[in-house]
Amino acid sequence: MTGLLYISVRKTFGPTVALESLDLDVKEGELISLLGPSGCGKTTALRIAAGFEFADSGAVTVGGADITRKPAHKRNMGMVFQSYSLFPNLTVNLNVDFGLRTRKIGAPERKKRVAEMLELVQLGGMGNRYPHQLSGGQQQRVALARALAIRPSVLLLDEPLSALDAKVRLALRDEIRRIQTELGITTLLVTHDQEEALGIADRVGVMSSGRLEQLAPPAQIYSRPASAFVARFVGSMNELPAVVRGPDAVEVSGQTIMTPSALTRDVGESVLFLVRPEDVTVRDADQDGLAGTVTATTFQGASTVVGLRLDVLDVLIHAHLNSSTASHLAAGQRVSVQIDGTRGVLESLGAAPVVEDALA
Amino acid sequence: MADINPLAPGLPLAIDPEVGGPPTAPIGGIPPRAGRPIARFGRLGPNLVLILCAVFFLAPLLALARYALQNVPTILLGRSTLFKKWSLGGLTKAFSDKQFGPTLTLSLKLAVGTVFLTLALLLPTAIWVHMRLPKMRAVIEFVTVLPYVIPAIALVAGIVVVKPHARWFLDSNYSLVPFYVILALPFTYRSIDAGLRAIDLKTLVDASRSLGAGWGTTLRRALVPNLRTAIISSAFLTTAVVLGEFTIASTLLKNTLPTFQAIYVKREPQGGYGLNLLALVVTTGLFALLTLLTRKRGSRKSTAVVAVAATAGQARTLAP
Ligand SMILES: Nc1ncnc2c1ncn2[C@@H]1O[C@H](COP(=O)(O)OP(=O)(O)OP(=O)(O)O)[C@@H](O)[C@H]1O
Ligand SMILES: [Mg+2]
Repeated sequence: MTGLLYISVRKTFGPTVALESLDLDVKEGELISLLGPSGCGKTTALRIAAGFEFADSGAVTVGGADITRKPAHKRNMGMVFQSYSLFPNLTVNLNVDFGLRTRKIGAPERKKRVAEMLELVQLGGMGNRYPHQLSGGQQQRVALARALAIRPSVLLLDEPLSALDAKVRLALRDEIRRIQTELGITTLLVTHDQEEALGIADRVGVMSSGRLEQLAPPAQIYSRPASAFVARFVGSMNELPAVVRGPDAVEVSGQTIMTPSALTRDVGESVLFLVRPEDVTVRDADQDGLAGTVTATTFQGASTVVGLRLDVLDVLIHAHLNSSTASHLAAGQRVSVQIDGTRGVLESLGAAPVVEDALA
Repeated sequence: MADINPLAPGLPLAIDPEVGGPPTAPIGGIPPRAGRPIARFGRLGPNLVLILCAVFFLAPLLALARYALQNVPTILLGRSTLFKKWSLGGLTKAFSDKQFGPTLTLSLKLAVGTVFLTLALLLPTAIWVHMRLPKMRAVIEFVTVLPYVIPAIALVAGIVVVKPHARWFLDSNYSLVPFYVILALPFTYRSIDAGLRAIDLKTLVDASRSLGAGWGTTLRRALVPNLRTAIISSAFLTTAVVLGEFTIASTLLKNTLPTFQAIYVKREPQGGYGLNLLALVVTTGLFALLTLLTRKRGSRKSTAVVAVAATAGQARTLAP
């Protein structure tokens, strides 16, 4: 088992640039999830690794060996698809057996491995059923077993859970992670569900229009987004017009807020200041801060989402507060709003969003 | 189609929001769809159409059957003689003609050859088009209808021009096979196309290839079994076309079953028409079987359409 490496992979479909220049290093035994909006090139990246599409330029290697031009059936990749992909004419056993048979493995060994794989995905005893006799979740388990049976060098998963309902999705997600860790198999998982991506992966790659915006561990993606795009796409963000006042300060409607994100900006530049709802706090109206009014409170158990309208900017922002702190707040109440800028992100106004070096 | 009541299949939904009624959600959460008026019509309308069609088709067939199978002078074929002197004599006489056996054998051989050549050409092409050139599907579909739109006589005119240069080829009985492949194309392509539409072709191919199967294995183990119905239909349709084609066979001076029928009907009108009737019945039987076979799997509607079209084509080519 070995790592998967994309080197400046570019892929276009006619005028559409599906991948601009992808560099990605999935280390041996690691699970990376690719996250991004629809059409950003996630599936294309996966299909290039699988050999269903070929890169216009660049290279793909597995364990150091160049596979860029190798046809799909010689690549030894395990793939699970978004749509149900079991062969409808074959039983579960024969589906799992399919790849073993093409590898000309002896019958006793094949039988043993099929049973082993079905056990692994907790479907022992279902071997004689046909795909149409299984639920969606079970079908995807079989698809996983089928992909793993060939002992692939890399496991590729293209939104394997997106056709399933929420509960099954959660259970199967945990199971994929368990099996992946157990087998120590190098895995690339594509998803557009951020919770799924952050919850399952060692590292998350956030993509946007054919580019990798950031590749980092889940916590870092959330707390130190490399670009405004990542910041907005993962979790939610408040957006405040601001002016850069120094290497570590911006001014929001007369208030100076300290933020390391101003370092690369010119003093006096007009920007959008992006702040997570957790970094917004509320105090009594007579305290220092941005004056505003509570517009709504939504109780969510441990936390409460508080909607706030700032007087000067007339923008609506949200704060995630501890429910006990928020208990005295009510719609219409005058408050003073504080912003913690340490995790804030700046975006130029008007100009295109700045792209950080993806592999930095 | 009318909404199906999930609690009592066969009954239309009782609540019609357009007319009024309890302001509840539709039963089973199925939103009301368009097409309700047909349900109001009841079953009388469609049944009436069906009956009219049946009469339109069956009346001439009955006349044909009476002429071929009743030993009653034509002039006396009235209501009073309906049950008199039915006999298979004309048919058995036709069967025992020394030309019947060889021409039937040749036609069946041609049918088998045509089926195999059709599948060998069409299956990979249709799969390729579905996988790689989905935009070309409409164009290809149009091209495949041409043999149906352009009369066979045009093809014959072409043959006549080429004939002196291609004796070595046209002299063989099996030179008919390529022509029949073309003639059957409107039906066979549609049937394969419908079969491909009914499966998730791309995913099945990708899955198979990622499991280490090359194109050959993928075709054999992942696709053909799932296209079984489509392949069987196209084989049936091809057979029907081959067993009904007269124009080209007679131009090329081949002794196939239809050319034998055409000659025999002049010599022995009663037995000749008996043969024609039998051909129609067998063809219809084939299609009935086909419809039954395909009923459980998705592509029934298109198969039925194709079957009707083919029967019509068959009847057209049969007309002496
Ligand atoms: N075979 C193809 N032919 C033409 N364009 C394609 C093809 N495959 C992908 N594209 C285009 O390439 C771009 C990237 O597609 P891709 O399927 O990789 O997106 P994705 O990130 O997987 O999106 P989704 O989340 O919707 O699955 C899209 O604009 C898509 O329209
Ligand atoms: Mg996709």
